[in-house]
Amino acid sequence: MNIVNLALANIKRGKSAAFSLFVLIFAAALLLNVGITVMFKMSTFYDDKVEELQDPHLGIMLNKANDKAAYHDYWKNNPDVKAFEMESMILMDAAKFRYGKSDMNSGAALFNSDAKRHFSSLKLIQKLAPVQPDDIYVPYSFKTSGGYKLGDPFTITFQEKSFSYRVAGFFESTMLGTPSMGMMKFLLPDAAYRELSEALGPAAEGISLSAALKDSRQSTKQLMNEFNKRSPDPSLNAIAPTFWETDIETMKSVGTMTINIVSMILVAFAGVIVLVALIVIKFRVTNSIDDGIVHIGALKAIGYTSRQILMSIVMQFMFITLCAGVIGVALSYAVIPAFGGIVSSLTGLLWIHGWDAEANVLSVLIVTILVLAVTLFSASRIRKLHPVAALRGGMMTHNFKRNPVPLEKSRGGLQFMLACKTIMMNGKQNSMIAFIIAAITFASVFSVVLYYNVASNKKAFIHLVGAETSNVMIQAKTASDGKKLIPAIERMDGVAKIAILDFITARIDGQDTYMNISDDFGKLENQTVYEGRFPKYDNEIAVSWAVSKRLGKGIGDTVKVEISQASQTYLITGLSQSISNMGKAAYLTLPGVRQILPDYEGSVINVYLKGMDTTRFIESIRAQHGQQIGNIINVDETIDSQSSIYISAVFAVMVLVLAITVLVVVMILYLVIKTMILKRRREFGILKATGYTTLQLMSQIAMSFIPIVLVGVIIGGVLGCVYTNSMLTLLLSGAGIHNVQFIVKIPLIVMLCIGLIALAYLVSMLVARRIKRISAYGMITE
Amino acid sequence: MPESNISIRVIRFMPNQLLRTEKLCKTFSSGGVQQHVLKNLDISLTEGDFTVIMGSSGSGKSTLLYALSGMDKPTLGEIHFEEQNISRLNNDQLAIFRRNHCGFVFQQVHLLDNMSVLDNVLASGLLVSRNKREIAAKAEQLLAKVGLEETSWRKFPSQLSGGEAQRAGIVRALINSPKIIFADEPTGALNSAASDSVLDIMTAVNRNGQSIVMVTHDMKTALRGNRVLYLRDGVICGDLQLGAFDGELHSARHEKLKAFLADMGW
Repeated sequence: MNIVNLALANIKRGKSAAFSLFVLIFAAALLLNVGITVMFKMSTFYDDKVEELQDPHLGIMLNKANDKAAYHDYWKNNPDVKAFEMESMILMDAAKFRYGKSDMNSGAALFNSDAKRHFSSLKLIQKLAPVQPDDIYVPYSFKTSGGYKLGDPFTITFQEKSFSYRVAGFFESTMLGTPSMGMMKFLLPDAAYRELSEALGPAAEGISLSAALKDSRQSTKQLMNEFNKRSPDPSLNAIAPTFWETDIETMKSVGTMTINIVSMILVAFAGVIVLVALIVIKFRVTNSIDDGIVHIGALKAIGYTSRQILMSIVMQFMFITLCAGVIGVALSYAVIPAFGGIVSSLTGLLWIHGWDAEANVLSVLIVTILVLAVTLFSASRIRKLHPVAALRGGMMTHNFKRNPVPLEKSRGGLQFMLACKTIMMNGKQNSMIAFIIAAITFASVFSVVLYYNVASNKKAFIHLVGAETSNVMIQAKTASDGKKLIPAIERMDGVAKIAILDFITARIDGQDTYMNISDDFGKLENQTVYEGRFPKYDNEIAVSWAVSKRLGKGIGDTVKVEISQASQTYLITGLSQSISNMGKAAYLTLPGVRQILPDYEGSVINVYLKGMDTTRFIESIRAQHGQQIGNIINVDETIDSQSSIYISAVFAVMVLVLAITVLVVVMILYLVIKTMILKRRREFGILKATGYTTLQLMSQIAMSFIPIVLVGVIIGGVLGCVYTNSMLTLLLSGAGIHNVQFIVKIPLIVMLCIGLIALAYLVSMLVARRIKRISAYGMITE
Repeated sequence: MPESNISIRVIRFMPNQLLRTEKLCKTFSSGGVQQHVLKNLDISLTEGDFTVIMGSSGSGKSTLLYALSGMDKPTLGEIHFEEQNISRLNNDQLAIFRRNHCGFVFQQVHLLDNMSVLDNVLASGLLVSRNKREIAAKAEQLLAKVGLEETSWRKFPSQLSGGEAQRAGIVRALINSPKIIFADEPTGALNSAASDSVLDIMTAVNRNGQSIVMVTHDMKTALRGNRVLYLRDGVICGDLQLGAFDGELHSARHEKLKAFLADMGW
């Protein structure tokens, strides 16, 4: 018999064990390939999309009244700019429309779909024909996470006027396609566009400036900073409500951050599965050597070398690995579109996945090399085995050193004591099971905590993004209006507190930063400072961890803040975290910012309500102070609609993680119990002969595994509760997060843990049921 | 002894009858071929008897023993243990029947390798009694009675000699005070001295009223019984009443058995 036949014979001998190993390696290869492919592809996904859609790298939108020729000249004459385009559009600084299950308050940029343009010419993914006068084309994210389909009615409300349309098509956009950046793009057919433009008048006339760079790898952020620095009236740029700018670098970081986290979780989980498969392989190899030791002795006796026998074992596992790996990778192409759906819901961009040979080969190679290493390591003892010793069964006379849980002394019922004996005698195997269960429980807790905080109790998640969780955000028309509004709002019914929180762009030690300005940071719900404190006095500043790291400065150091052409030095009093704008945030008090802009008055008022319905409050304030209000945002609704795009992604991750957890629990227990029944067949026969019932033996087997599962689940659950936030901090550290405070809902975790233990018990009992098929007589007489 | 003299017909349970079979059949199928191992056996065993089953290899001795003990199910016919028809019990009911009424002594002993001698005995004893202290005391008493030194009680089976292991096996069989002990060639794997020692224990146990059914192919061992059933091709073709063993392997008893076996064509 040659080595190949020997390997095939080994597989045939343990068909079901080979199958379960196949399933584990298959799952590992599948997940690994999805993770690696997505990670590979995501690095170029945005750039490829920009190229495909001919989108600009930089975009500025402003009211036509504020437009200046110098803005155009700057981009036209910039040597780094390849193409520049100016286009008229309708600019709504705060429009309202349904997105997901609630209304969304967002900026809206409406373009004429029939106009000719260089950038972003209209390419519809899906469309209705023929064109109707009330048609509107909306970003693809409206379909993937906004809950719209072709033909649905769409109503946009601006300045208390509502305009109704029919969704006639979906398009992709790399810059204005998701709610993340606070500005949404829409296109209207020529007639509808003109009609809306006329209805809204000059106040909504806007200008869109777009530019593409010669070298797409150049930092668009830097160029935008440069523009802000040189533009003739930068203070206007900084605080004008209808001045909006973005660049592809920022969009890419916002759009891909969640996807990168999801793919990292996938790869980490694939790692767990590979680890489980490797441990199982080690277990299987050791068992197959133990079981076939006489067979090995016979082979050695008739002249097979250790190398040949070793090779047959290696080949057996390599054959399973390669088959499972290749099939896993092939079937991952059925899963990647589902993942593509998540990418689409997060980015509003269509994910089309082609063949990625590099990732495929890498996935198979990683799995194969790891399996090879473990198999060689586990099977190496064959070399030391002498043929005579093997033929004698390889057993020493006294294999048992102690008798754990002596029945006459130990406490507890008979089944319990016998189960304890089994536990104590399989220390290594049980440690392995406990370790695996702990790892998958940790991952499950992680995913459940993530989902709970994104989908159910969103406060911590929204704080992580950097947003303030007030109920209503009111933008005063002018600074003097703001001054009058504050005391008036404070006196209104249901108002618990108010706080000013403005955002302007500034430079700190030459680095572009988003400056948060408040009258009192202590009033904010989102206390982003995790070390030190927020600024209290006019010479103090707090900076984000990302800014601190980039500048190499910490608490107690001073920084130079530039806004327009004025500057001032401030003392850093605290470090904060923020995920938005790549974590580039800083915080000044109102008196602090007045050191640079002496006339500065806060214009955005955050209102916190108590016992008052948000919608009713908005109606009431509009009625009472409508003249002084530029814009009102219902923060509750906005949070609901903006987080809806994350919910489906995190839900998919949770489902995947839980499904894999169930698979691993089932597989591990199936393999271990099945092997145990085979190995202890004679023992169970004797017990049956002496009067043990099948149910008693089944319970004994289940009881010998439940404590192990219990230990694993408790360790994993506790670690999950304690370290999920640390793990998230680690994952998000690149995005400027230093301290995640997600709510760990203990009852939910306890339910999950109880569920896992119940599952383990059920699986143990079901697998142990095989014992029913074995008769006492058969086992005694065989 | 001619076949017509065999007392195998039992109509009703006598007061001291322990076990009886009616038309007991056992058939094995292999590769579509049916092999009738036991054929319409009507046997009755009396309480306190030491019944020996003999026969040539393949005659169905062990099959009969395991069928009588509820370890295996008959293909046809009935087995009555006292008032209970055990042939109708399912596997779990049979397991409960075995633990409550039967003790087993096997040729290969079949002690659990991973448990000490004492634990092997207690693993059976605690199935029936919940009084751990009482059952442990009983186990120790029995172990001492069969001549196993206290130092052996906490040893593993692999650390015992064959004879010691078999004595431990007998204690395991006795721990629940069974109505009947089934022994399948208990001395088959032992040397002469160890065999005598094991048989002495079994004889002593039987003298105390313990019913025993033993399969053997050894004449010296068979002499310990008070009744010998001879099985040939699945049929009881001889039933010899030897009388109670008096402790002496005298020639008259020996000659009687020898003649019986010669008649059976052994």
